[in-house]
Amino acid sequence: MTQTEPGTGEIRLEIPAAPEYLRLARLAVADVGARAGWSYEDIDDLRIAVDELCYAIGAGAEHGRLTLCYQVTEQAIEVRGSGTDTTPLAAPGELARAIIAAVVDEFDLEVDERRFRFVKRA
Amino acid sequence: MTQSVETAMERFVRYRATGDPEVRDELVVEHLGLARALARRYSGRGEALDDLQQVATVGLLKAVERFDPDRGLSFTTFAVPTITGELKRHFRDKTWSTRVPRALQELALRLTDSVRELSQELGRSPSIAEIAERLEISEEMVLEAMEVSRSYTASSLDAPVDEESGTSRMDRVLGGDDAGYEAIDQQMTVDYLLSTLSERDRTIVTLRFFENLTQSEIAARVGISQMHVSRLLARALESLHGVIAES
Repeated sequence: MTQTEPGTGEIRLEIPAAPEYLRLARLAVADVGARAGWSYEDIDDLRIAVDELCYAIGAGAEHGRLTLCYQVTEQAIEVRGSGTDTTPLAAPGELARAIIAAVVDEFDLEVDERRFRFVKRA
Repeated sequence: MTQSVETAMERFVRYRATGDPEVRDELVVEHLGLARALARRYSGRGEALDDLQQVATVGLLKAVERFDPDRGLSFTTFAVPTITGELKRHFRDKTWSTRVPRALQELALRLTDSVRELSQELGRSPSIAEIAERLEISEEMVLEAMEVSRSYTASSLDAPVDEESGTSRMDRVLGGDDAGYEAIDQQMTVDYLLSTLSERDRTIVTLRFFENLTQSEIAARVGISQMHVSRLLARALESLHGVIAES
């Protein structure tokens, strides 16, 4: 389910879009952060961002699949996510966006396209 | 305030006054959609949706029984945490202890202590490697333990939020807009969402996400450990997800 693409260091994870699989998405980003030597608190932020953004593109539903790509660049971690046949439970409101904005340095969220991307710098 | 909400409120007043079981049933039926929506939020976690809807309906019944229209809250504001609490308790009782190995549960508790100690010693948030070294376990185990300590089942909405007064979150939920849950979809505001949190959780969420303080800074300001802040944030976010999903 998880594979590292040789040469790029990118990790790609595909999971069912049900809440219990989100754990894998959080574990993966935590592992990427740990490998980069980040602090407990920054890793917690990464996990919150993954959680919130996956929910935003439909991770809470019972159908569909999510694909996440994790990439460590210089001094930053970038995560891209997309949903296939997912149904977001609710459009992310002001609060969800405020939460995401507080824990990452930049993010794009296209709910209609079931797509997100965020970057957090060390 | 919409006409239907007014009607519901009047009915609650009547139920409080008369205790008429017919009125109670009407109120329950009227809000079944809310219970179902919240049950759906917790489906896909190994429990049948039917069972969850029953659990949510029990929560709804409790909410109808306990709701006091004179306190100025909307019923939804009051009922969401009550129903969510019932669902969480169901999961905690039914699934957590059997699914998470005991050793990992204990490790999660040790993680809490070591993060607190290391944060104090280092004056910053420790790295995973530092935590692993302190606990004499692999980094992988630290990450696993982080997952467990943040598990949604580890939090309880009914747990006292104020150790001194012993009042529970449910007792302390404050009123937001007096909107029916049908209307929340369009009207949910940050204020409304924050109003569903306890005062302490709301303070922490505000400091973290609106004033952009770090967990350590919040810990220092509020006078609790950083790990505690982390847990409270996790719990608050989980609770907010419940409210958002319900819309």
